[in-house]
Amino acid sequence: MAEPLLKLDGIHKRFGNLEVLRGIDLEVGRGEVVCVIGPSGSGKSTMLRCINLLEPPEKGEIFLEGRDICKGPGSAAGEAGWDVNFLRQRVGMVFQQFNLFPHRTALQNVTMAPEKALGRPKEEARKKGTALLERVGLADKLNQYPERLSGGQQQRVAIARALAMDPHLMLFDEVTSALDPELVKEVLDVMRELVSEGMTMIVVTHEMGFAHEVGDRIVFMDAGQIVEQGPPSSILDQPREERTKRFLGLVLEH
Amino acid sequence: MQEFINQFFDVGFMLDHFGEVLEGFRINLELFLVSAILALAWGLLLALLRQLPGRPAKPVRAVTIAYIDIFRAVPLLILVLIFGLGIPSLSFLPEALRLPQWFGKPDTFWLGSLALLVTYGAYMAEVYRAGIEAVPGGQMEAARSLGMSHLQSMRNVIVPQAVRKIPAPMLNELIAMLKDTTLVSVIALNEVIQTSTDIQTKTFNSSALTLGALMFLVIILPAARVVDKLIARSKDRLARGSHIEVA
Repeated sequence: MAEPLLKLDGIHKRFGNLEVLRGIDLEVGRGEVVCVIGPSGSGKSTMLRCINLLEPPEKGEIFLEGRDICKGPGSAAGEAGWDVNFLRQRVGMVFQQFNLFPHRTALQNVTMAPEKALGRPKEEARKKGTALLERVGLADKLNQYPERLSGGQQQRVAIARALAMDPHLMLFDEVTSALDPELVKEVLDVMRELVSEGMTMIVVTHEMGFAHEVGDRIVFMDAGQIVEQGPPSSILDQPREERTKRFLGLVLEH
Repeated sequence: MQEFINQFFDVGFMLDHFGEVLEGFRINLELFLVSAILALAWGLLLALLRQLPGRPAKPVRAVTIAYIDIFRAVPLLILVLIFGLGIPSLSFLPEALRLPQWFGKPDTFWLGSLALLVTYGAYMAEVYRAGIEAVPGGQMEAARSLGMSHLQSMRNVIVPQAVRKIPAPMLNELIAMLKDTTLVSVIALNEVIQTSTDIQTKTFNSSALTLGALMFLVIILPAARVVDKLIARSKDRLARGSHIEVA
C-alpha cells in the first residue's frame, strides 16, 4: 500500500483529569474522504485539533506525508519552531463557528494568510482569492464584511480561506452545526465539489446522509477511542458494535 | 465667602496673568503629547510581551507582569521625585542621559516625561490586554490554523480587533495622564502648577491656580463627551451585530 497522507499512532490527549483521547490510531490515504461520527464529548473535535497541533497531543505520533510532526526542531511543545506553521499551511481547517476575521472583507479574509505567511505578492493572492470565492459561489460578495453575510455564506468564505493555502488535507469540524437548516445544503454542496476534485478530507459531522454519500470510510468514535470503522454501507447500515448501534439509533430515529 | 472668591476667582487677576499661566499650561500639553504617544506604543509592546505563548517565553511574561504590577502600584508622584532627583545624580551615566536637554527642553521635562511614560505604559498595557482578551479565542485559532505565526496573527488579526474595543477606556487613561502632568511641578518644571504657585507666592492671590484648572476643563470636558459617544456607539454596534448573526 502507498504511504498514507496522514497517520496517527497512539494519540493521547487529556484536559486536566479528563482523558479526551485514549489511543487513536488512524490512517488516511491520499484523496480519501473520512467522515468521523460519534456522540458529543467523544473526542472527534479534539482529534481534529490534534492533527494540526492546535491541541498538541501528550503521547503518540502524527505523520503527515511521512514526516513526524510531533518531533523535530520546534515541535508542538516548542511552538516557536518553523514546522508548526509549515504543517498548518498544509492542513486546512474549517470551524463550526466560521471564525472569519470580522474586520476584513471576504476577499481579505482569503488573501491574508497567503500574503502574510507565504509571502505571495498581493496581486497574485487577490487573483487566486477571487477565483476561490467564485468557486464557492460568492463572486458578488468579495468586498462584503462578514457581518453582512449569512451563516452559509460565511462558512463558504471560511472554506475558500482554507483552500487559499493549497492544503493537502482539509479538516472540517462540524461545519454545518451552527447553520440554519436551509443554509446547510449550500455548504455541503461546496464540500461535495471538493470531494469530486479529489481533496483529502476528514469530516467531523452529524449529517449522516452526507457521510453516507461522500464518505469513503466512516469512523465511529466514543469516549476517546475509535470503536469501529469501515465503508459507509457497513458502519451506517450494518454496525457490529453495540455502541455504534445505540448511537445510530438515537441519531436516525427522529 | 467674599474672601474665598477674591482669593480664587478674581477675574481681573486671571486676565492679568492669563499669558503666563497659558505658557505654563503649554508645557503640560507638551509633556502630555510626548509621554502619551510613547506610552501608547510602550503599553502595546508590554501587552504583546505578556501574551507571548509557550514555555520559552515564560521569563519574558513574568518580567512583564512584574513590571506592570510594580508601576501600577508605585505612586506617580514618588516616581517623578525619584527620576527627577535621582537620575541626575547617577554619575556613571553620560551627561546627555543624566541631564537630557533635547529639543531645548530642560532635564526636568524629560525626566518627568519618563516617569509618566513608565507609569502610564503599565496602565495602558492593561487596557490593551483587556482588548486582546475580548477578542474571541476562535480568531487566534483560525489565524494559527492558516499557518500564520503567533506574531503575524497578533499583528493582522488580534490587535486590529482589540484596539477597536478600547477607545473609551484608553481615552480615560489619556485624560488622567493629562491631569497627572501637573505632578512634574514637584521637580520644579515651570508648568502650569509651578507657574501658578509662583504667582501666588508673589501676589498672595490663588486665582492663577483656578485659571489653570479652567484650562484643563476646557480641554477635558469635550473629551469626556467623546468617551460617552464611543461607549454608546460600541453598545449600538454590539446590539446590531447580534441581530445580524441571527439573520
